[in-house]
Amino acid sequence: MLLILDVLTTAAILFVTSIGLLAIFGVLKIINFAHGAWITIGAYCAVVAAKLGLNPWAAAPLAFVVGAALGGLAELFIIRPLYRRPLDAILATWGLGIVIGQLITLGFGRDVQFTPNLLPGAVQLLGVDYSAYRLVALGAALVIGAAFAFTIEGTRLGLSARAVIMNEALARGLGIDTARVRFVTFMIGAGLASLAGVLLTPLASVDPNMGVGWLIGAFMLVMVSNASFLALAAACLVFGAAQVLISAFVSPIFGSIAIAVLAAVTLRISPKGFSRA
Amino acid sequence: MSKRHLIGAAAALVLAVSPARAEDPIVIGVPVGLSGANSVVAPSVVQSAELAVEEINAKGGVLGRQLKLEVADDASGAAGAQKAFDSLIYQKKVDVLISMETSAARNAGLPAVTKGRTPYIYTSFYEGRSCNKNLFVNAWVPEQQVPPVVDAFAKEKGAKTYFLIGSDYAFGRGMLAFTRQYIEKTGGKIVGEEYLPMDGSDWTAIISKLKEAKPDALITSTAGGAPNVTLTKQLRGAGVSLPYANLAVDEGTAKSMGADAEGIYLSASYVTGVDSAENKAFLAAMEKKFGAGLKTPNDLSVPQYEAIYLYKAAVEKAGGTETAKVLEALPTVSFIGPRGTISMNKQHHAPLTMYLGQVQGDGSVKVISAFKDVDPGEQCPKLK
Repeated sequence: MLLILDVLTTAAILFVTSIGLLAIFGVLKIINFAHGAWITIGAYCAVVAAKLGLNPWAAAPLAFVVGAALGGLAELFIIRPLYRRPLDAILATWGLGIVIGQLITLGFGRDVQFTPNLLPGAVQLLGVDYSAYRLVALGAALVIGAAFAFTIEGTRLGLSARAVIMNEALARGLGIDTARVRFVTFMIGAGLASLAGVLLTPLASVDPNMGVGWLIGAFMLVMVSNASFLALAAACLVFGAAQVLISAFVSPIFGSIAIAVLAAVTLRISPKGFSRA
Repeated sequence: MSKRHLIGAAAALVLAVSPARAEDPIVIGVPVGLSGANSVVAPSVVQSAELAVEEINAKGGVLGRQLKLEVADDASGAAGAQKAFDSLIYQKKVDVLISMETSAARNAGLPAVTKGRTPYIYTSFYEGRSCNKNLFVNAWVPEQQVPPVVDAFAKEKGAKTYFLIGSDYAFGRGMLAFTRQYIEKTGGKIVGEEYLPMDGSDWTAIISKLKEAKPDALITSTAGGAPNVTLTKQLRGAGVSLPYANLAVDEGTAKSMGADAEGIYLSASYVTGVDSAENKAFLAAMEKKFGAGLKTPNDLSVPQYEAIYLYKAAVEKAGGTETAKVLEALPTVSFIGPRGTISMNKQHHAPLTMYLGQVQGDGSVKVISAFKDVDPGEQCPKLK
């Protein structure tokens, strides 16, 4: 029972941390290597919110707005000129991530910051004591996933985004303002990354480099999902399960490299990864 | 004046300046983890080093020479330490290295220390048995730290079964290897022992194993800083409430962790509550120098302070900073600091008074019992 809950909540946390990267990769066709920095920005929004004496949960919308606003600026000034040069975009976003990490270091110092716990304690569930917060994280992942699905399937923006994903030249020919779609998508992706940062604070330590580890996991997951968010959910579930089961039955040391190894193997066998499923 | 004269004058100037080395400051290299896992505690270490240097300089320095600190960030790891040690030893030409570091960083730096023939005083508690002619340690090893915790759990909590969790590196594994040995020797039983890489932050599977094993007590030995914080947060989040001793937590970290740290047992050679004139004077001086910016002095920063005084005593006894003479003098000198009388006279290690404490709700550490002059045991039998 404990294992099933561990698998579900681990998958949920992976999903929350990689959905922002997936959104940007899907529409813009670039990997935002500053994704980890935006996760860090979100976590520091929680630090700032705590310093201002706000309710810890208020950090979540705050982080989304701050992340999206900074994402908008980054898109305008850094990403936009590089759409036709995806390799340069990797360099630019990776560099941007380093710059943001250093700016955070300058502002807050290198040390670990402490944030108030969003939801302490454990609850009884199906006969086991389980961390209340991890269950909330599971709920948050479902809500974010549903909202994302609704945006893609049920809104004008989602329709335009899907058109851009399928054939950008044709979409532009049909009068869709593709530049605006890219701009808004980048903002949403950055906002989601920051939101993930807040949701990580009860589980992770908040420091200027905290995002890097999550970026690597998210990158692997997005690579095997090939821009499909249902595939991402499936990949999170499978890889999360692998991580938990290997940690439980073999060794946590192998468990922590499970995602990277499995992603490589998956792409070797099936270049489209989970997106065919 | 012709060009040749100018060159001659310059050469004369150089010749005149270089023999005046006695006037140069004595440079103390401090490679320390300002970033990475040690970043929580490193600023307090730098602060106490600054205080020691300021105090010594105000009283005329060492043999008439002023002390100067060269701080370098080793990023808490092996790769950063190699760079930090190389630049301190070969570029900054430090006379001595005095620092608190992770075991990974210390091990990575030791080859440079040996090659550069620089005395090195290591001021962090560690897993023990690091032996090098140039290396001295004035902080505790497992033989000094673990027994008080296990004995207290066995006696007061009636604990028979234990679960061990650590970070996968020299300190984590070394501490828990000794802990396992000591528990088994004293009649206890280990029901689980798990490790996560140093940069790992997801303890989910390990915590679930812990819950299934249902031990009487938990002992953890992670890297300080981030891994310690994530483990404690996730343990508390999962509702783990058994007697919990953390071999790597210091008072400052405990304080900033807030409610999550309450009830944790720790074993240390220094807590701010040590009742001695030296400790009170030290705390007052720190308070005066750093005011609001003061990082709580702790079991890693106080040894740093004392080590600088031990080095001063050794240089004075040796009559200079020449490595061979300083190394000969180091085990023979002692200093009365906040932790009491410290002398690195046991195979390059120091007998220490150890305190068993428990973190209170407000983040302070209550001393439960004290163990006087605990011997470090056989650390380096080949060194005298």
